[in-house]
Amino acid sequence: MSKFRGAAAIVGIGQTPYYKRATSPEPEVKLALRAITAAADDAGIDVRDINGFVSYASERSDPAKLMPALGTREVKFASLVWFHGGGLPATLNIATAAIMAGQADVVAVYRSMAESSSQRLRVIVAQNDTSSQYLVNGLDSPAQILALRAQRMMEFHGVPQSALYATVQASYYHAKNNPRAYGRNTEMSAEIYNNARMISEPYRLFDCSRENDAAGCVLVVSAERAKDLKQKPAYILSAPMGTMEGGGALEENWRPYYATAGQTELAERMWRESGYGPKDVDVAQIYMNMNSMGIGAMLDHGFFAMEDAGAFCTFDNLTAPSGKLPINTSGGDLGEGFIHGFGLVPEAVRQVRGTSPNQVPGAKLSLVTGGPGDLMSSTALLGSEETL
Amino acid sequence: MAYSFEQHKIVGAIAADDDYWRGLEDGVFKLPRCDRCKTWTWPAHFRCGHCGSWDFEWVALEPKGKIFTWTRTQYAFDRVLERKEDVPYVTIVAEIPEANGARVMGLLKGDESGLRIGADVRGTIDPPSAKSKFYPSIRWNIER
Repeated sequence: MSKFRGAAAIVGIGQTPYYKRATSPEPEVKLALRAITAAADDAGIDVRDINGFVSYASERSDPAKLMPALGTREVKFASLVWFHGGGLPATLNIATAAIMAGQADVVAVYRSMAESSSQRLRVIVAQNDTSSQYLVNGLDSPAQILALRAQRMMEFHGVPQSALYATVQASYYHAKNNPRAYGRNTEMSAEIYNNARMISEPYRLFDCSRENDAAGCVLVVSAERAKDLKQKPAYILSAPMGTMEGGGALEENWRPYYATAGQTELAERMWRESGYGPKDVDVAQIYMNMNSMGIGAMLDHGFFAMEDAGAFCTFDNLTAPSGKLPINTSGGDLGEGFIHGFGLVPEAVRQVRGTSPNQVPGAKLSLVTGGPGDLMSSTALLGSEETL
Repeated sequence: MAYSFEQHKIVGAIAADDDYWRGLEDGVFKLPRCDRCKTWTWPAHFRCGHCGSWDFEWVALEPKGKIFTWTRTQYAFDRVLERKEDVPYVTIVAEIPEANGARVMGLLKGDESGLRIGADVRGTIDPPSAKSKFYPSIRWNIER
């Protein structure tokens, strides 16, 4: 049995409101402070006792900036996961490893974004590492690059547009019940979806994630410590990160498979380490930079085969409380808001606690997948105590 | 002669493809193959991951391929605003059979009819211009 499995748990969650991009009344660092203090309050932990800090990608609210205002007693561990949204669940891997190795006791995993403090989200996330092969040929944004993969998924592999629409429909349906969701008042229908402007074909506007200003944080502690805290712990059963052979910075030359999320090997490791499989999962927060990539993530995790994507991805199957695989129950990256996917982690925790705005009754196993199609990605399975 | 792209270098990525751009500026489509084990390495890199050689031969190829995938950009994105007036435009990823299926990006040139995955394309080379950030570029024409 893996030593990692269940060694640590998420015991606190904190989130600021989602603001329309570039309109946050507070700068990025202040948003980060608000999310971290909220997570400490939620857990019943003195914020000064947080001694580990983990984030990913282009995060700029580093612990050196935060510690004077948090009254941090000592920073013992700080780390950033490489690349982009693919690093999201990997933060839980790093946090757990730090705790297991005795390098930190209370780890804040967080992400903060405010356009006024940096740059537009879709620019800053690229971190100026987009190769000339893309830029010379008119490709800049993840929306365009992932559109290439979506075109392959739809035209070559035959995944229907209805599958993409079902994820949009499910996301906005869930967002309606979530007072935090930026898209809670957005009406959605097939007509609205189809008539929305094209961004980069085959993606229409609502196939794309939002861009918001906000911050979020979850606190990770050892399983032992988690037992005595205020909240029901969400145990981290597995949170592998990585890239398969034939992947990496290969500019649309990924082999052996291309149109999905590049998460097949990660998912296999996760099922092996956790002892569970796709059939056991109660609810999933699927990272959707773009929704076809989220469908790719579900494919790579074994929830269905390519030829069954259309039949599986329906409104009924993807919605709480009783769908086969309710996804993005806070509204997710499409409907709730988007700060590099971070909102998915607190929602995965709420499902284990039983406090989601779209609760899956009795949810015990809660999945959160990382940025699909990223150069490196990750995925994580959270569970209640009875899943240990 | 100084190459245009060298005066306008895009930095930050692996950027082992200078000889690709030099080739295009010289009017030749070239891709790198390991000098020792003959593995095609694309995108270009500094070391052959198969055999460990540091030497590549840049092989001149006929720019012929098949559409692997494509997108039609319908919005002027931040870092490619030079192409604002060309929106919508189609970018093609073409598989080059002669280079073991290496996939090479380029904008569609000419008529869109027949635009589909698997269609045959032939490349022509555009000289450096502001639209291509002062790099030369391969443009894919659909063969009919």
